[in-house]
Amino acid sequence: MEFGPHFFLASLEGAVNAAVLALMAVGLSIVFGIMRVVNVAHGEFFMLGAVIAWWISTLAGGHPAVGFLFALIAAPLIVGAIAAAADHFVLRRINYDPERTIVATIGLLYVLQQTTLMTFGPEARPVEAPFNKRLALPWFEKTADGFSMYWPWGLSTTSYKLAVIAAAVIILIGLWLFMTRSRIGLIMRATQLDREMALAHGIPVDKVYALVFGLGAGIAALAAVLIVPIQQAHYLMGHDPLLLSFIVVIIGGLGSIPGTIVAAIFIGMSDGIISVFFSPTVAKIIATLLVAFVLIFRPQGLFGKRSA
Amino acid sequence: MLELNNIESGYGDVQVLFGVSLNVQPGEILCLLGRNGAGKTTLLKSIMGLLPLKSGAIHFNGTALHTLPAHNIAKQGIAYVPQGRRLFSELTVAQNIEVGLMVQGRSNQTRERVLDLFPRLRERLKQRAETLSGGEQQMLAMARALSTEPRVLLLDEPTEGLQPSMVALIDEVTLKMRSEGVAIVLVEHHLDTVLNIADRVAFIENGRNPETVSAYDLSRTPEKVMQYLGVN
Ligand SMILES: Nc1ncnc2c1ncn2[C@@H]1O[C@H](COP(=O)(O)OP(=O)(O)OP(=O)(O)O)[C@@H](O)[C@H]1O
Ligand SMILES: [Mg+2]
Repeated sequence: MEFGPHFFLASLEGAVNAAVLALMAVGLSIVFGIMRVVNVAHGEFFMLGAVIAWWISTLAGGHPAVGFLFALIAAPLIVGAIAAAADHFVLRRINYDPERTIVATIGLLYVLQQTTLMTFGPEARPVEAPFNKRLALPWFEKTADGFSMYWPWGLSTTSYKLAVIAAAVIILIGLWLFMTRSRIGLIMRATQLDREMALAHGIPVDKVYALVFGLGAGIAALAAVLIVPIQQAHYLMGHDPLLLSFIVVIIGGLGSIPGTIVAAIFIGMSDGIISVFFSPTVAKIIATLLVAFVLIFRPQGLFGKRSA
Repeated sequence: MLELNNIESGYGDVQVLFGVSLNVQPGEILCLLGRNGAGKTTLLKSIMGLLPLKSGAIHFNGTALHTLPAHNIAKQGIAYVPQGRRLFSELTVAQNIEVGLMVQGRSNQTRERVLDLFPRLRERLKQRAETLSGGEQQMLAMARALSTEPRVLLLDEPTEGLQPSMVALIDEVTLKMRSEGVAIVLVEHHLDTVLNIADRVAFIENGRNPETVSAYDLSRTPEKVMQYLGVN
């Protein structure tokens, strides 16, 4: 394939990456922004979402769309409930102390991962996409009389991949509206800005925290359900998304949702493109270097505010 | 009405209050007067449930406030204007007021009444709180508290750093609340304000309350001020 169409193909793969990464990272960012908790177990909530999607789609049988739709609703709810319980029984007990929450969520990571290994097993298991039509894509070339369109061999994507991108956009817009327009969003932001004043204004901060931790994990699970028809469910699948979401959240500015989304698009796209042209390892090395530079020259992130 | 009985409290291992007893009645302004670091802010935070009591009790019309979780104190009808304003900085004026209205589920009527007290805020409803001037921020902190339609109002240095006309406006609103029967606890360093609007004055010294006197008595025995504040 020529460079033009090849790059276009790589960008499409990158866009799918970016869509899922944006969801993951926003979940991490909301939790950090509001609760000041660095959730090292975030990748495991993603993994659980995928495993539960496999489980539900296997139980459901029939047309793959039935199980998938059911998983799309049930997996985030189940994972969100598990996370809210973890908040209640673990994080609240240690008073959300920053160092201790890191250790606690590392513990949670292993508990979730090993429990999955013991029950689900070490195999990677596929989930069938609800629809998966191959779509050939056109490209343009310059000829003597202007541009003409043609269909390069191998330049194609699937309807499902495009649907993943669209779904991520819709979910992110929905989340944005929820945070900025709804009453619960207002309560969450007030809690983020001044926890003590939130308490003094009747806001049950404990409940807000459980909700936020559940919401962050639920979004990760949702991202996993979307990607599992492309990627397969596996008990170690949470590692890379966790690393990449940390990179995104640091580059975007901790707790800044717009910054997180912009950084996710940038990192997701470039990770996809560099992986296609070079190798996934090179992509990770470059992303990690970028984080190092951001930490040195702009520790608050590209969009974060310098704290006073 | 609001009654503090021998309360001891502080921050972690650091005890700040050593047995303070006070009470404030409806339609009364009780001023807390004391040096920097005496424990006035700590006292108000303890009432709001933001600091746990080591001992003692706080009752409000028979309800034991010190046994309630912090987020339930405001719902009992107690509103707090903290020192330094502590607005929800990235929220708009309207949203800050909205948080106040939610405490007791107050309606638009309350909102209108509060905005009538501070017309400058009505012109700036969409502005982020952090971009307001100092005086406007103080108005908003008052408005947020009054949006709960409280029966007890705790004011921690509400006129700190304000120009005279703004001080007058805040004092005017405070007096209006008193006339509506709100019980008010006011922390204030300006002695003339204290003598002007307080009904009683509680001295706070090293986390204790050695004496509470009426404002009238205080105006006749100014040496007390010298004794507790080291100024006159
Ligand atoms: N978070 C905290 N941790 C530990 N000690 C604190 C904390 N906040 C205040 N203190 C201490 O408690 C004491 C009382 O402080 P407080 O803020 O109640 O004083 P104040 O009477 O309000 O003074 P000011 O007039 O300066 O506002 C001070 O010695 C202060 O250093
Ligand atoms: Mg103070």
